[in-house]
Amino acid sequence: MTEHHPALKIGVSGVRGIAGQSLTPEIVAAFAAAFGTYCGTGRIAVGSDTRPSRVMVTPAVTAGLLSVGCTPVHLGIVPTPTLQFHVRKHGEAGGICVTASHNPLEWNALKFCTSAGEALRPYQFSELLDLYHQGVFSRVEADDIPEVQIDQSAASEHIQAVTEFTDRRSIADRKFRIVVDCCNASASKVTPTFLRNLNCEVFEIHTTPGEPFPRSPEPAPRNLAELGAAVLEYGADIGFAQDADADRVAIVDERGKPAGEDFTVALAIDQSLRKHPGPVVVSVATSRLIEDIARARAGAVHRSPVGEAHVLEKMLEVGAQIGGEGNGGVIIPGINHCRDSFAAMALILERLALNPFPVSQVLASLPQYATVRTSVPCRSREAAAFVRLMRHIYREETLDLTDGVKVMWPDRWLLVRGSNTEPLLRLTAEAGDESEARRLIDSALEYLRE
Amino acid sequence: MRELKIGTGWVRGVVGDALNPELVIGFSRAFGTWAEGGPVVIGRDTRRSSVMFQQAVTAGLLNSNCQVIDLGETSTPLISFAVRELGASGGVSVTGSHNDSSWNALKFLGPEGSLLNPIKSEEFLDLFHASSFQTFGPHPPPPQPAAPGIADAYLDHLCSALAEEEIRTRGFRIALDFRFGAVAPLADQFLKRLGVQTVTLNVSPAIDWHLQLEPTPDSMGELATLVSNGRFDFGAALNIDGDRLVLVAEDGTCVSEEYTLPLVARSRLLRRPGPVVTTLSTSKRIDPVAAEFDQKVVRTAVGESFVMDRGVELEAVVAGEGSGGVAALPASMTFDALLSLGLILEFLASERDRLSDAVQTIPRTEMLKGRVRCSAPAAYRALEKCRQVYAEGISSLDDGIRVDWDDAWLHLRVSNTEPLLRIIAESDDARRTQKIFDGCLGVIRHSLAEEETK
Repeated sequence: MTEHHPALKIGVSGVRGIAGQSLTPEIVAAFAAAFGTYCGTGRIAVGSDTRPSRVMVTPAVTAGLLSVGCTPVHLGIVPTPTLQFHVRKHGEAGGICVTASHNPLEWNALKFCTSAGEALRPYQFSELLDLYHQGVFSRVEADDIPEVQIDQSAASEHIQAVTEFTDRRSIADRKFRIVVDCCNASASKVTPTFLRNLNCEVFEIHTTPGEPFPRSPEPAPRNLAELGAAVLEYGADIGFAQDADADRVAIVDERGKPAGEDFTVALAIDQSLRKHPGPVVVSVATSRLIEDIARARAGAVHRSPVGEAHVLEKMLEVGAQIGGEGNGGVIIPGINHCRDSFAAMALILERLALNPFPVSQVLASLPQYATVRTSVPCRSREAAAFVRLMRHIYREETLDLTDGVKVMWPDRWLLVRGSNTEPLLRLTAEAGDESEARRLIDSALEYLRE
Repeated sequence: MRELKIGTGWVRGVVGDALNPELVIGFSRAFGTWAEGGPVVIGRDTRRSSVMFQQAVTAGLLNSNCQVIDLGETSTPLISFAVRELGASGGVSVTGSHNDSSWNALKFLGPEGSLLNPIKSEEFLDLFHASSFQTFGPHPPPPQPAAPGIADAYLDHLCSALAEEEIRTRGFRIALDFRFGAVAPLADQFLKRLGVQTVTLNVSPAIDWHLQLEPTPDSMGELATLVSNGRFDFGAALNIDGDRLVLVAEDGTCVSEEYTLPLVARSRLLRRPGPVVTTLSTSKRIDPVAAEFDQKVVRTAVGESFVMDRGVELEAVVAGEGSGGVAALPASMTFDALLSLGLILEFLASERDRLSDAVQTIPRTEMLKGRVRCSAPAAYRALEKCRQVYAEGISSLDDGIRVDWDDAWLHLRVSNTEPLLRIIAESDDARRTQKIFDGCLGVIRHSLAEEETK
């Protein structure tokens, strides 16, 4: 049975499933109606990535919103940060992005954002889910159904705002040669324009929206071989790879070598602190590199649980101008209250424009850590039990219990936590070299087997 | 009572909790599965809620791997034509038709362009109830752009079924009430081709929801005034999805909707003899018209699906109802107000007649229609009582009870849309009709009273 009915994953990161099978149009319309009910009557921005199933999912969202008297404002195919920027700028009542982000092509999902352009916090999502399960939506009578609206200027407004936030002159003077890999996804038309506006020479790979994804949409080093080859072929200064909904970005250096996702947030934070010294927020799973960088710029580092909503919440609490996670997601609240790959690219280019050195040399000048990430299938309750066990085993060490358990030594750390979105136990270790990091993970896995 | 009704080839309900997007998606998935993932033509009327349901229909059909050919705001007859012209597997019309604006509905058309007949409707509803839907493979099919030129092809088709030149030569001038329907632009082009001058009322997009959308003589005062104050050959009101036609004579007199069928039939039979199909509830005014051309009139249960299904089976040339909905088969596979209008024009042109004269030639009868409010179980027990009382004269049990005498008839049936019994009686004499009507009413009331004392 389960083979033919793939799981529907409903969680704080959205409602995800295989489009047409587990993610049916009825579920989509009902969630849209529940979300419209949750937001109250008003305008709800609707956008999508380039997945083919958007043609089925988007009309179901539209119908669900109309049924509760909300006005859908269609932005078309847009990056998720563009949709969230639009919602905040125009004071919409909320937003729904039809995107499964880094999931494979046959998946799709609804991601919800509040009128502040922020991802739903856990308590907000549980309220929404309660409305959905009760199935009592504030349906309106036929004569009160509003009209659908269309706004095609969201992407240009977004990149204009990022550009205005950026030191255009120094970037323009440097005349960067850049290869972009947009994964044929929602940023395919936006990213090249954005970078050309900054006087960069842009070489495009995979920028045909709607064509199949040429690689896994996750911008992890293992998926960036083609971008690396293109950087070498064009003799480019840098390569940028975005995920399918363009909230995250990874870097490839001028030698075609992936920098590792932690360096996206590291370079962005380094540059941001030069401009605006102050506190920084990263998740507990992000490299210690951030403390080193912040120390040099006299900034305090705050650690939040893993996940965009948690990082943002902490940032707003401590008044941070920059934050993010080691997965290539950077948040700059001056621009957008979510991860924004455009804002991240702008800060990274600013940082590189400070001096004439190639990217590899700038990266090499930063402290070097080996970070190893792995995950093992594990039911949520077993993950929780294992986390408790680890706390007991390492009770003599310095522990950070922000999310799961993080064991910290002066020169290395190990994080064990249950995934928010999948039945997985996630393990992250960082040390001076890779074999030491791997040894930390292996010792934890040893306990797990016992 | 939950205000949702599922009929043969259609689903309708009050927009809101009863008829909502999820339910419409479910029906569309079932229909797409029934159509085996072939291309499906869709369109909608001018109601606000129709945009919402058109989105839901699109999502449901795409999920069943159907290509969706969206004609946007249009009439049901044009959707029917497009299904045939494009060789589609079916059609869906999102229209609340004559119901008031709080309602909406879906009409499901088969590959031949008519409402699903009872057998097909049963297959379709079985799929819906079992939730046994097919889905797309790795990718859903992209929606297709609206078929270019389909409206012109439809108008060519209508004109080819008419004596176009004769109508043009006559140079008609008519007044039209569109009830804010989407048929207005089509009608405009159609009548231009026929050389007809028009003055129009109640044209979309701004719908005045206070107006009764169902074209009946009671709601045609504005059109009647327009016609009586100007020099028009006649006036015509069209239903919102372009299936029904009701007329106003050149002097401003409203013509009962029961006359549309005999008038259209007479025009049609003049040039193309064949059987006529109508319902058990429709006036016998059609009988002498068919007899004039030695044709028979066959009666079915009330509902377009039943009338059309029988019409196709008998190779009829006209099929229609007393509500003003008429199809000239095989040119139309649904009730089609534009073709009906064209046939009225053709008749008046070739007979050099005024509309009032044409109406005069159809024998006048006395008809009474009434309703008794009661629950469904009580209604069925009252029907059973009537079956005993009228046992001798019953001529049909296809839809309630039809009783025929030499000079009169009576039809008693449970409403498809509301919790009530409908009574219709007709004869040539008002007193005779009243007597039959009152007799039946007495039997029903007696039965309902017995219910209460129990």
